[in-house]
Amino acid sequence: MKKNIINFVLLVISALVVSCNPTPDISDNMLDSGQVSYAIPDSLQKHLVSEYLSSPTSIQKNTPVIIAAHGYTATTFEWDELRHYADSAKTFYVSQVLLGGHGRSYADFKKATWEDWQSSVKEEYRKLDSLGFTKIYLAGSSTGAPLIINLLKSNFFAGYNARPKGIFLVDPIIVSSNKTLTMVGLLGPVLGYTTVELPTGEQGKWYVYRPQETLKELMKLIDLTRRDLEKGINLPDNLYVKVYKSKIDDVADPVSALLIYKGLKYDWTLYKSIDVEMVDSKLHVFTRLDGRDVVAAHDRMLQYKAFKEMEAKMKE
Amino acid sequence: MKKILVLLVAVMLLSPVAKAQTASTELGVGLRFQKTEKLYWENGVGLDYTSDFLLKKHIHLKMSYASSRFGSAMIGNAVRQDNILVGADWRFRPQKPLQIFAGLNTGFFHADMENSTFAVLPHNSLLLSGEAGLFYKFKFPLAASFSAGYNLITGNGVAGPGTLFPVFYQLSVLYYIKPEASSKR
Repeated sequence: MKKNIINFVLLVISALVVSCNPTPDISDNMLDSGQVSYAIPDSLQKHLVSEYLSSPTSIQKNTPVIIAAHGYTATTFEWDELRHYADSAKTFYVSQVLLGGHGRSYADFKKATWEDWQSSVKEEYRKLDSLGFTKIYLAGSSTGAPLIINLLKSNFFAGYNARPKGIFLVDPIIVSSNKTLTMVGLLGPVLGYTTVELPTGEQGKWYVYRPQETLKELMKLIDLTRRDLEKGINLPDNLYVKVYKSKIDDVADPVSALLIYKGLKYDWTLYKSIDVEMVDSKLHVFTRLDGRDVVAAHDRMLQYKAFKEMEAKMKE
Repeated sequence: MKKILVLLVAVMLLSPVAKAQTASTELGVGLRFQKTEKLYWENGVGLDYTSDFLLKKHIHLKMSYASSRFGSAMIGNAVRQDNILVGADWRFRPQKPLQIFAGLNTGFFHADMENSTFAVLPHNSLLLSGEAGLFYKFKFPLAASFSAGYNLITGNGVAGPGTLFPVFYQLSVLYYIKPEASSKR
């Protein structure tokens, strides 16, 4: 009897040890495999303004550029549609940064910190500034948003000639809709990783597997940003900020918009606050539609309206 | 919800009258300090009541009000939110100074959205939580309890308020205005 109990305990311990460090089953067609990388020079050349306009003319230097940061586990494709809009409008450029650790492989992603994710945004800003671009804007979708808010908090832009003119945040995540994320420190080591189902049109563009180490980094980033917003982040007088937030969002809790609204502050003597629009959408990152299984005309209209508004703001 | 509150208050206030001749009762009031995991400090006041007729003081009835207004929102830009709780605990070793307890709470949660832009977001919810911890009763009429709790109802910003998180910790310090000995024969 005693022997049976000891065997059972050993079995449970072994199962726990195994489950604490599981390796996902990665196939070659997944982004996780490293066979499809967005970090290769060709891709960077295609997506970064600092690469494809490395010797800008004076007209180009004075054309607005949006540095667009995508969300957790995504890639540059998240801002493809804004890029297409810009290419046809010819009134601004979109520099689609690939966040550090993203678009490479499961192993690269697993070891990257949120500071690594952010580093490519900082690098592109530094390059555009040194190339002489004068009208730099930033856009962040989902996790891209707290990465940008952190740059404001850390006074990153103070050392550059070109200060950002405006910031657009689309479905920013400060609070996760799934509250289990707050327990990732406890549950993460047991889970090892989580998996997402991708529609056919989005396969190869997202990581399928989310290592618990990266979920912890995500939690660390959004918790830090929430606390920074709680303390208050002062905005430069002439920096425009607009938050677009879907009313129904199963990834980024809509209350995130309220926390940003309360936390990003202009000097009180200006009597103004940031712009927030609660968008009548059920999509997380409603500006990214291509690849989704179902897209309604209403969604296309909301996307177009947001892009048009961004363009108008940059013309002011 | 209101009915439950009224019933509990009635039990707390009237039972000492009904049982005063035979039972030993205890009534403690004090402060509650609550920290939600990855969210706010929400502080307030609490009340704890027990009597011999509540299974020889194995059962404690409690009420509390905790708000970020007296915590994170007092010194920062936290969402102003209120928790009104009623509940019952089961106390192990109720006659000893150090007691272990586990219980269930229910109540009402409200978050103040402050601006009409956010009026579309859910801001009220029923509360339902389990809680377990330690309680220590000093020789003078003071007691302290520390516990961890889990909200069984949380919010995802669509079906419930987004700032209703699952895990919380609380510390209560109670002063016994009606200590054990006062109504003993």
